[in-house]
Amino acid sequence: MECKLAVSMMHDYLDDDLPELQQRELKEHLLSCTGCRAKFKELEQTDMLMFSLMHQTPVASEDLVGRIMNSLPKPKKERAFITWIKRHPALTAASVFIFVMLMSSVTFWNQDRQLVVRGTDLDQVVIKGDTVIVPSGKIISGDLTVENGKTQVYGEVNGNVTVIDGSLYQASTAHISGQVKSIDQAVSWLWYKVTNMFSEVAYR
Amino acid sequence: MENLEGRLTKLALKGDQRAFAELVELYKDKIYHLAYRMLNNRHEAEDVVQETFLRVYRNLDRYDDKQKFSTWIYRIGTNLCIDRLRKRRPTYSLDAEMNDQEGIDGYSMIPSDNVTPETELLLSETQSLIYEAIDSLPVKYRSVMILRYLQDLSLQEISDVLDMPVTTIKTRVHRGREFLRKKLGPKL
Repeated sequence: MECKLAVSMMHDYLDDDLPELQQRELKEHLLSCTGCRAKFKELEQTDMLMFSLMHQTPVASEDLVGRIMNSLPKPKKERAFITWIKRHPALTAASVFIFVMLMSSVTFWNQDRQLVVRGTDLDQVVIKGDTVIVPSGKIISGDLTVENGKTQVYGEVNGNVTVIDGSLYQASTAHISGQVKSIDQAVSWLWYKVTNMFSEVAYR
Repeated sequence: MENLEGRLTKLALKGDQRAFAELVELYKDKIYHLAYRMLNNRHEAEDVVQETFLRVYRNLDRYDDKQKFSTWIYRIGTNLCIDRLRKRRPTYSLDAEMNDQEGIDGYSMIPSDNVTPETELLLSETQSLIYEAIDSLPVKYRSVMILRYLQDLSLQEISDVLDMPVTTIKTRVHRGREFLRKKLGPKL
């Protein structure tokens, strides 16, 4: 064995990183080579001295723990909030998204002041300004939806009547065969939009 | 079962100061020992311990409990020591190896200046010889050697702490040991 290889094996041996077979080879070399034997002794001694030195623990001052604990920044309330955000990025993003969606929907609800009339049989309906009238004697076959307006029903509606953000007046002569829904709050309006969207998607 | 450090860090994160004090109690001596051997100065070592725990406290939320806590805190402590050693030395690079001899560079030319009367009195002759030898080790070898012998860290653990490949650590341990042998050999 070359001495150079033996030296690298010595280090591996001291690092507990030499397979048993090679340990034997190294031992054989050390028995035959005085130079390497001396070197190995020196390395081993250095190793032992380092270990013994590192196992004498120096002692830090008594008040070190106290000083460390005092130097810590005091926890703040807002800090807890920020750490919560840091720890739940997905939740934070989702809630911000929902918040923005909600805000935009609400602003739309406030801005959207135009009269909208929807239905299957709109020829029979009379519109005067912001008032939608179903005259007496007329029969509307199908649903009627009015947004942002007053609705006055004198005749017959063979379907549902939905009034959003407006008023509904039913005369004694009125006859509505379906459901009557009055929606004038942001939340129920939103709910209506959402369900409407889904049913539209479903029937398309 | 979750390990002790993992539980303590979680409690500390929730604002439990006593849990953090427990962590300090567990690791202060180890970090002090590391810093003392690296810097060879009591005051600086205590500063480093304080700074290490401050950093640990600030970054508790980033601690990943799949990782060993000791690895994490040793990394912080070692880096702080290395920073200090870099600042302490003159700006021209001493890390550049001179001559063609392995492990010999600018540091070995600088005489150790950290032997205070107090340490001189307390130490035996052999011990001060080793301290001198360690102190003359280049920083990159010193950190590796101290970590190797400090808590019997394995080569793999040292590579985790220093964030370097195991092969590099191995080479550095070998060179560091060779360096110390050359320094101490004739005197032993």
